[in-house]
Amino acid sequence: MSEDTHLEELRGQVRKWLDANAPKGWRDAYKAMTHAQFAQAQRDWFQTLVAGGYAVPHWPAGLAPGSGRSLAEQKVIYEELARADTPRLLLSFVSTYHAASTFLECGTEEQKARYLPAILEGETWCQGFSEPNAGSDLASLKCRAERKGDVYVVNGQKVWSTMAQYADKCLLLVRTSSEGAKQAGITFLLMDMKARGVSVRPINQIQGDQEFCEMFLDEVEIPVSDRVGEEGKGWAVSQATLSSERGLTLMELTYKMRGALWRIAGLIRSNGLEEDRGVLRDFGQLVARCDSACAIADQFLQNRIDGIERMGDASIVKNTYSRVLREYALLGLRVGGIGEQYRAPITYGDLTTGNLMADFMNSYAWTIAGGSEEVQRNILSERMLEMPREPKNWVL
Amino acid sequence: MIERAELHDAAQKAFPADRLKPEREQSWKLITGMGWLLLPLSEDAGGLGLGRDASAALHFELGKVLSTAPLAPALLTLQALGAAEDSLAGKTGWIERASAGELVTLNLLPGSVAENALRLDGTLPAVPDADIASHVLVCVQGLAALVPLNAGTVCITERPLWDESRRLFDVALNGHPVAPDLVVARGDAAHDLAHRLHGELQLALAADCLGGAGAALDMTVEYLKTRKQFDRPLAMFQTLKHRCADLKTQVVAAEALLWTRAVDEHATVTDLGALKALASDVYRFVAEEAIQLHGGIGLTEEHPISLFMKRAMLNLQLGGSLDHWRERTGRQALAALAN
Repeated sequence: MSEDTHLEELRGQVRKWLDANAPKGWRDAYKAMTHAQFAQAQRDWFQTLVAGGYAVPHWPAGLAPGSGRSLAEQKVIYEELARADTPRLLLSFVSTYHAASTFLECGTEEQKARYLPAILEGETWCQGFSEPNAGSDLASLKCRAERKGDVYVVNGQKVWSTMAQYADKCLLLVRTSSEGAKQAGITFLLMDMKARGVSVRPINQIQGDQEFCEMFLDEVEIPVSDRVGEEGKGWAVSQATLSSERGLTLMELTYKMRGALWRIAGLIRSNGLEEDRGVLRDFGQLVARCDSACAIADQFLQNRIDGIERMGDASIVKNTYSRVLREYALLGLRVGGIGEQYRAPITYGDLTTGNLMADFMNSYAWTIAGGSEEVQRNILSERMLEMPREPKNWVL
Repeated sequence: MIERAELHDAAQKAFPADRLKPEREQSWKLITGMGWLLLPLSEDAGGLGLGRDASAALHFELGKVLSTAPLAPALLTLQALGAAEDSLAGKTGWIERASAGELVTLNLLPGSVAENALRLDGTLPAVPDADIASHVLVCVQGLAALVPLNAGTVCITERPLWDESRRLFDVALNGHPVAPDLVVARGDAAHDLAHRLHGELQLALAADCLGGAGAALDMTVEYLKTRKQFDRPLAMFQTLKHRCADLKTQVVAAEALLWTRAVDEHATVTDLGALKALASDVYRFVAEEAIQLHGGIGLTEEHPISLFMKRAMLNLQLGGSLDHWRERTGRQALAALAN
């Protein structure tokens, strides 16, 4: 059987399964929910995917139902998830990608055995990387851990931890030494969110969502056995964590944005702008930009499948999606007129919800989070275009 | 089967990046000698039967060097000859001559030509290289025919361009009688042909734009690495790096759409026009920024960077303007996206 036939067969299976199992009417349902109910709906959908064998296709074979899929197969699955417009898996995302690949690449056998199966049963991980003074410059983080016998005692603050208010465990980056290069004193720990001294506070975002949290760690004790990699070698582990997601999410989101263009078309019609040539032109431009964003997201994954990724390619995909997403929201706001300024319920966890003020504000999550647009530009110019870095050791 | 990558390689060897605006007649000899005109012709018609991504690859590479050769009109009219009805006398001979370098050109913007009792009146604007072409392909309502450019009823006038890499002519037809044995298609077939050529033109222009945009950006980045001010290369300044990164992002994303659409058999003419609009606007933006980033030297005739800007500006117009295609794209999407 040829590769193409195989992939098309898989596509048929996924489509059939989604027809029977994808949540119906979730957009309206999500709007009427509290944030905690939203988290529960996410857990339910994740368990449905686990049972169907589509939750962790990227894990090695044998570890879960439906795992061991090639990247080409994963691409097909995500294309179908986007086509069926299923809810994005926000709550389990860090668990299935970041946590899992950390254990798989850098964890001990005990850690793998203890934590991987639990993820499938619903144990949820969050990420404790960023700090108030360590954003783009993550390696300057200050959250302090001191070894005392069999435990590390941790003090400090973390921020921008997605869905941390529902998490059971946390991937934590701490400073165990201030000597030498700032990367050298970082250690990677696994923290129980129920441990004494951990307090989590959701951040109220400008659109009314509570997707991110800040965490305060006060004398938190973490067993040494919950360290990943050696002490002082946590930076390398974190790089494995951050590179776990292979472009599938961006492809899914980009396809979803393309699929959500009908919302703008609907506003053009309902506001009687079908013959407004200025609007038609800008809509035409947006359509082409969305198509281009889909093409580059698709090409990026295909290049990864073919093993010909270049340094900086991921930055191009991210900056393209995030900008087009902003343009999408702005055109929607323009054609929506005053109607979009009347406050309406938001749909949690989605980026093109049709509530365009909310979508507009949420779009900043993509130009700021996950390596800001400006950091991506640094990567692109320095690594892809090979423009020189500024001299180091510059002091204010 | 020739892979697209091989065509890119071959074109880069034949037209090296450091020789911009290569001389027209020599380029044309090289292009015909390489057999590139046979690429898109069907195997039945004596060609290689390659997809339109093959032609796009050539336009992309020739766009990088600001090619002066009439490859785009030649490939378009060859397709017309390949699809010609039996009315065209000596069809096989036509294809042989055209693929060996006898140029049949065509207008790259809509003309005012009308047909009445098989006589053609009006003007075709933006006809490339009419000075070295033997015929022009005229597509009017329900008729596609070849018109010899040396006929007494045909008058060609060169329109000097700001873009120094191409030559365009107005072709005026003054009651020109259509020769029955030069009719390429009639009725619906003529309409379909004109429609198809219009779409192919968009793809050719889009490829030219993105080849040019990439080359202009490369040249700019290299310049910024070389030029020093304040004891450091300009390329070290973050504000300039970020501008280059944004240009690169736009070029690469548009290019992804180019290669996707080039192999998409279901792409409509409007889809290809949307691609051309995006590509030409990216080219304009890159070329505009390229001059600014070169500083004073970019304003001199001595430095070639402005040649990209002039070509970009012409590409914005050829085949239909940005406004035209954006509006059509918007209308098409609005119609397709029912509530």
